[in-house]
Amino acid sequence: MMSTLLDIKDLSVDVTIDKQEFNVVNNLSLRIDKKQKYGIVGESGSGKSLTSLSILNLLPDVLHVSNGHIMLDQTINLTKLSKKEMLNIRGNEISIIFQEPMTALDPLFTIEHQISEVLKFHEKYTKKEMKQLIIDMLDKVGFSRPKQILKSYPHQLSGGMRQRVMIAMALICKPKLLIADEPTTALDVTIQAQILDLMNALTEDYDTSILMITHDLGVIAETCERVAVMYAGTLVEEASVQELFKNPTHPYSVGLLDSVKSLGDRTKKLYSIPGNVPTPAQLNESGCRFASRCSHVMDICRKQDPPQFVINDDHKSKCWLYKDGGKKNNEHYQHTIESK
Amino acid sequence: MYTYIIRRILMLFPVLFGVSIFIFIVMRIVPGDVAMTILGTDATPEALEQLRKDFGLNLPLYEQYFNWIGGVLTGDFGESMRTGQEVLPDILNRFKLTFELTFLSALISWFIAIPLGIIAAMKRNSNVDFGVRIISLLGVSVPNFALATVIILILALAFSYSPPVGYVGFFADPLKNLEIMIIPAVVLGTSMAGAVMRMTRSSILEILRQDFIRTIRAKGAKERIVIFQHALRNAMIPILTIIGLQIGTLLGGTVIIEQIFSLPGLGQLVLTSITQRDFIVVQGAVLFIAFVFVMINLLVDILYSYLDPRISYK
Ligand SMILES: Nc1ncnc2c1ncn2[C@@H]1O[C@H](COP(=O)(O)OP(=O)(O)O)[C@@H](O)[C@H]1O
Ligand code: SF4
Ligand SMILES: [Mg+2]
Repeated sequence: MMSTLLDIKDLSVDVTIDKQEFNVVNNLSLRIDKKQKYGIVGESGSGKSLTSLSILNLLPDVLHVSNGHIMLDQTINLTKLSKKEMLNIRGNEISIIFQEPMTALDPLFTIEHQISEVLKFHEKYTKKEMKQLIIDMLDKVGFSRPKQILKSYPHQLSGGMRQRVMIAMALICKPKLLIADEPTTALDVTIQAQILDLMNALTEDYDTSILMITHDLGVIAETCERVAVMYAGTLVEEASVQELFKNPTHPYSVGLLDSVKSLGDRTKKLYSIPGNVPTPAQLNESGCRFASRCSHVMDICRKQDPPQFVINDDHKSKCWLYKDGGKKNNEHYQHTIESK
Repeated sequence: MYTYIIRRILMLFPVLFGVSIFIFIVMRIVPGDVAMTILGTDATPEALEQLRKDFGLNLPLYEQYFNWIGGVLTGDFGESMRTGQEVLPDILNRFKLTFELTFLSALISWFIAIPLGIIAAMKRNSNVDFGVRIISLLGVSVPNFALATVIILILALAFSYSPPVGYVGFFADPLKNLEIMIIPAVVLGTSMAGAVMRMTRSSILEILRQDFIRTIRAKGAKERIVIFQHALRNAMIPILTIIGLQIGTLLGGTVIIEQIFSLPGLGQLVLTSITQRDFIVVQGAVLFIAFVFVMINLLVDILYSYLDPRISYK
């Protein structure tokens, strides 16, 4: 029996620009189970990072959660916690790893100091115990000479090594959830797979759930069990990874998958979804946010924002094409791609 | 590191050599005649000529230069043309005052500027921040003689204060010394505070925007740790640059403040010696000031490398 670890319900995030508010994450709901590996995928600018930052209340000053709640363990409402209570969650119950390993560590402090901070904030260990814990952790993330790493400064390490340090730091308090916001995007291709494998293995050891944020469906395929597709601040489709890859329904997801497939098959022209992600100002308009780029757009799409339609038990799609359920077949998508 | 320091100290020589030539030439170019200022305008040409000969001013320039610099290299800076006093002891004596004034002012300015700069950065766009920005703008743009005048006026009206005359060393009589120094130090300190405050505020704001601050917050750090252990430490590097420049400049003499408060510091010595064309004193003092300035720079560079592990000197 799976149980829910993190329940995001109707989350909206607004940005204030020149005293005017724009909506950048809109009514997003998703549920992550204990030990689950959950992915969010979408083009850059679709609101993935803002969603993940809202969980730990780390949004920059100009942004704020304007609606919804985020429940941890079904009892703790993260959006309502006091500052002090939130400090207890960060790095302890929920950790986060960011995209840029080169700038994510304080250049003036040793790796030992920076990892030991997490322990100091949340646990009571002696200095000696702490050091041993850090050495063990560095060993687990794949450093062959952990003692040497202790005394290093960030600038002495490569990007891949720094990301390993970030993983060590994130997992040392055995959190319930690890949020990884594009953890491999800035790394060399050869290192990417190693880092993903490492995260997979360690989170399994620790019974930690993963929220993997990425623009890369390959990363989702490699690490996740369930996936949410985001477009322009909305969750447009949600399914198990297998189901999404086999049976994508939302025209945006179909486009994303096709752009990956055409990458694998050099004989076809590279497929990409025409147009750009709308700007926040355009988002305040009503209707489906994908309408301006959708080749299936209907009258209703521009007038009314589609709700989440149920395709089957574990598959939802936010598109008017599915208002009668998941009957719509995919043949003519295939057709539109062939004809490009 | 040590080889670096030694190399930097060795590099002092060419720098000071350049300065010595420069100031020597400048002092020969400026119009005016030391003999005339000493003997007065009604002195006979013979007497003037004799005095110039006594000072060695009739010798070829290069010979004059080598006589002077040769002495300097052995620690003999020569004697004042006007008073006959030995130059180096006089410089060192006055430097004590300038040194004390500089560090007292710097201390006062840090106590004002750094906390206010931090608060302004933390409460960006608040009333405090607004106030700090105005104060620092005033601090940077109001010349310190104007500030000194205002402060003296206020003190004179409120407490019938008048700038004390003369100087007593700190170790001779600490209380008396502080009584003399505190007002000039407050004036200088306040005017230094503007730039430091502004730099503190802007560098902390800049650091708070960095990714690694978000990482520290994500670890569960309290705001106090974010600001004081991480943001301030990172911001110290640009702040140190400003502080180093300020101290270097002040140690070269706080001419106007010394003049207003009639303090016999290095600045006053240079000023009077220039007006009297006392070549030897001016040359010695300028050389000494250049030396101090270079040493302060070296000190700042060493501090950088303590603060920032990315900076290492070989
Ligand atoms: N600091 C910010 N100030 C203003 N707008 C922002 C800021 N951060 C993000 N946004 C807006 O929110 C949108 C979503 O951002 P983000 O969550 O970072 O996208 P993703 O992580 O999916 O690439 C961006 O396209 C941008 O318009
Ligand atoms: S609702 Fe309409 S515009 Fe939006 S994705 Fe579906 S078909 Fe396209
Ligand atoms: Mg992002």
